[in-house]
Amino acid sequence: MSFTIATSLDDALAALADGARPIAGGTDLVVGARQGKDPLPQNLVAIDRLGELARVEVTDSEIRIGAGVTHAQLMVDASVVDHCTAIADAAALVGSPATRNVGTLGGNVMNGSPAMDTGAPLVVLGATAELRTASATRTVALDELWTGPGQTSAQPGELCTALVMPARPATSGSAYVRLEYRRTMEIAVVGAAASVTLASDGAIESLRVALTAVAPTILEVTGLDDLSGSTVDDGLLASVAERASGQATPITDLRASDRYRSKMIGVMARRAVEAAAMRARGEAVAVPVNRATGVGAAE
Amino acid sequence: MTEAMVPAPSEDVPAFVRADGPDKVTGSGRYTADITLTGMLAAKFRYAGVSHARITRLDVEPARAIPGVFAVITADDVPDVEFSYGIADRRLFAKDVVRFEGEVLAAVAALTPELAQQAADAIIFEYDELQVVTDLEAALADSSPLVHDDLDAYTITGDTPHGGNVATHSSITVGDAGAARESADVVVSSRYVADASHAVPIEPRAVVAQWEGDKVTVYTSTQVPFDARNGVCETLELPASRVRVIVPHLGGGFGGKCGFHYEAHIAALSRAAGRPVKLVFSRWEEFVAPDRRREGMIIDVTTSMAADGTIVAREADILVDNGAYIADASFFAQAAAMHVAGPYRIPNVRIDSKLIYTNHQPSGSVRAPTAPQGCWASELHTDELAAAVGLDPLEFRRRNIVRTGDVGPSGQTYEEIGLEQCLELASTSAGWGRDLPDDEALGVGIGWWPSFGAPAGAYMKMHGDGSAQIITGANECGTGSVMTLRMLAADEIGIDPSAIELIYQDTAVAPVGPGASGSQTLFNHGRAVEGAARQIADQLRDLAADHLEANADDIVLADGKASVAGSPAIAVDISELAATAASGELLLGKGNAEIRDWPTLSGSSCLGEQGFSSFLAPQFFCHVSRVRVDRDTGVARVLEVHTAHDSGTILNPMAAHGQIEGGVMMGVGQALTEGTRHGDDARQLNPALLEYKLQTIADAPSIHTQFVEIFTPNAGPKGSKGLAEAPNVPTAASVGNAIAAVIGKPVRRLPMTAERVWEAVEGLDQPDSSTDATTYTGGAQ
Repeated sequence: MSFTIATSLDDALAALADGARPIAGGTDLVVGARQGKDPLPQNLVAIDRLGELARVEVTDSEIRIGAGVTHAQLMVDASVVDHCTAIADAAALVGSPATRNVGTLGGNVMNGSPAMDTGAPLVVLGATAELRTASATRTVALDELWTGPGQTSAQPGELCTALVMPARPATSGSAYVRLEYRRTMEIAVVGAAASVTLASDGAIESLRVALTAVAPTILEVTGLDDLSGSTVDDGLLASVAERASGQATPITDLRASDRYRSKMIGVMARRAVEAAAMRARGEAVAVPVNRATGVGAAE
Repeated sequence: MTEAMVPAPSEDVPAFVRADGPDKVTGSGRYTADITLTGMLAAKFRYAGVSHARITRLDVEPARAIPGVFAVITADDVPDVEFSYGIADRRLFAKDVVRFEGEVLAAVAALTPELAQQAADAIIFEYDELQVVTDLEAALADSSPLVHDDLDAYTITGDTPHGGNVATHSSITVGDAGAARESADVVVSSRYVADASHAVPIEPRAVVAQWEGDKVTVYTSTQVPFDARNGVCETLELPASRVRVIVPHLGGGFGGKCGFHYEAHIAALSRAAGRPVKLVFSRWEEFVAPDRRREGMIIDVTTSMAADGTIVAREADILVDNGAYIADASFFAQAAAMHVAGPYRIPNVRIDSKLIYTNHQPSGSVRAPTAPQGCWASELHTDELAAAVGLDPLEFRRRNIVRTGDVGPSGQTYEEIGLEQCLELASTSAGWGRDLPDDEALGVGIGWWPSFGAPAGAYMKMHGDGSAQIITGANECGTGSVMTLRMLAADEIGIDPSAIELIYQDTAVAPVGPGASGSQTLFNHGRAVEGAARQIADQLRDLAADHLEANADDIVLADGKASVAGSPAIAVDISELAATAASGELLLGKGNAEIRDWPTLSGSSCLGEQGFSSFLAPQFFCHVSRVRVDRDTGVARVLEVHTAHDSGTILNPMAAHGQIEGGVMMGVGQALTEGTRHGDDARQLNPALLEYKLQTIADAPSIHTQFVEIFTPNAGPKGSKGLAEAPNVPTAASVGNAIAAVIGKPVRRLPMTAERVWEAVEGLDQPDSSTDATTYTGGAQ
């Protein structure tokens, strides 16, 4: 058994090529091992000190978030909050301050849980994952990356180094809303992200909605194209809710029945679109939406 | 005690630094799991893992054969003793039959926890599965399988009716409730179902045992060191003189660490291994194994009223889930009956309450056993009554609650009580009747809880430098009341509390006492400490009288000095008197809490008397909660809780406020998110903190507390009563009534989870809605 602390990305990739598994915050890997889910890998390479993975970079054409950026950074980083607000919403809801201080975006994505909070926001923002080995770099669409609960199409030796999203017009907004039974230390029962771009007349130019924890992987709601040109009103929100509920294939478990999840995913989708549209119009909805409005809002 | 230490009810809480506070906050304090002894081994248990089965083979030889394993013991290796309170229905280790998944088959001691676990897993356990009993109503059928084949084969204390799967049956009968219903204007029937829940102390329990010669010292995370010691003595057949129980700092208990748990298992294991042995529970074990968890209940209640809302009769049938063994639950049926009756004037009562054996984890005393569920049902029902006669819930209660001099539902006449004041203070504080957003409402809950007179002793000694020690059987499980013992003694002797050290949580040095159970620390240990301190005060007055050439009766002890009444200049330092005593007759005191009789009843007959039909020095309380409900999702959030408590005189306001805040939080958890779920195989489905959701500090409401400090006959020191359990009792009730006020109907399942609230909003089948109907038979609407 070995534990290596990588001091450069090349070091880390070399260790992965030799069969080591990466560890950043360890909030899934270590907790899972303690719970007896999977034993810790024989060889670990720590990537949490790699500054090159911990950067958020914005250009005219894209925003690039390093895989090592922590949830605590995501929820306050000005570029993330401005350009990818739904990711900030999601990061702010992850676990507890302790989890957010060490857990990373790359870890959340590569753990592949259908209940991951940052997954649906990344999908609606059109993100792709950058995967690197010692010798190659490739870009993978998220719907190709996530192949099942806890499963990804990443090959041994590949490291997720960044999530990259195209730049969006100023009239865009995004939001992530989650059903919560309590206000911290919570895990997604269902959640929904939405991104909205509005035309100059206030009608919808584009709309994407993705759902958390209602399918084996993060599920993007399809067939929303016909809503382009609509205004964001009760009728549109009801239609989004109905489609989200209809496309979800939730399970019954200790957290909720499938009947309840099906209904709630519609409520979450509706609220996500509502908040995203407000942000697209330039109205302030603080991060996270769950603390800005509704039952979970601050008193 | 100076006036300053008993401020008028106020939210300005003066600071009182707990003696154990800095240790706990800085991490320098040591808990049982921190203990390491030379040569110490690790213990692991092999659990049944099946809810009901006949053992056909238990072969421990594969475990014994593993190198590094020092001992493996089973029922064959300890005396064949059946024990428990009331019904001696269990043994340390399962023999012949296992009755719940967490039953211990064997214990292993090995060099490391991992090795011990490997050995425990290597034990061969074969069994024939038996039909499980999981449903409280089905358990009563003649055709039901039995959890225990023949209860009368056990030693049973008292004459409580029992038989089949019924462990105990208690009733309250006053007047003729059936006849009163027939002639009543309005009758309302309701069904409420409460899930089981857990105490969930943050410290999972731990036990360390070490033998020296024929004596054993057991370090253990118990709330009740003498119960733990007595359990070891009883099951291992040892005299009390050979068993010493020491409790290091305790990381919470909430009743879950009352009683006797694994002290004897580990003592026996340590003896067999010839080495000290340490057991530390995992969170899973903490959920599944101990015979202390809060009981599930089914409550059917029917109340008959006059058209003006005057209650004329209450009838109820209550089923309480006992689980597989009685633990300390024999009084639960009667306690539940009292809480479903509630603190109301009810001239005709018929309540039947049964404690039912099932193949679930055994129920036991968790913070006010049966009361939060009983109060929740009774108080949600009360709001249904108010609605049925068109009265405001507060006004309805004003018309029906017990006041000083009234006769309660079991026939007890109450002396000076403060329920009425609690109702007015809490509701006024909450702004009852104010305008709120349409997704918010206020809900009210009232309730009661008794004090218990139990034997307790204390010693006290004063050193030559004027500092002093109290030696008490009290136990600190976070209530802070053992800290208050120093204030009581200081007040008698006239010195500063900080000059008094507390020696506690050690059965070898302290006199017997009930420990931290039943809100009794102050009520019983406090009276004993007062007695011991008074003896020292008497000695100091005699010394001072000699010194000052005055009459001992005229000596006043205060501010570190003994002075002559009316002539404060004629004084001597208490430390000087202590120095004099140190070279002569030493300053030693002892005290006993006198046993208090229960109040007598009139006009009622009660089956299955278990000491709960009348309440000694009862505590009364009212909580009003402001709750916001998301109608689309059913998520409810408690925003404010306004509490008012009649717990008599409040001696230590900071500790008292802490109790209220902790009790409210535990109550909010029980109201909204904390519920144990069982599979068809009777095993727990959510024995982990991910799926059994506690409330967090982020969920905490603002809590506003007022104390009704009135004179209470037969109360504890300086007119005080208990407070540790009371604030847990009415919280779920007040939250439930607020939710009902928002959504227009009660949620009939506890916890009132988001999904259950949503089901109620949507008018979907709530479980048990077949008896959901509220029947109005005339009268005002």
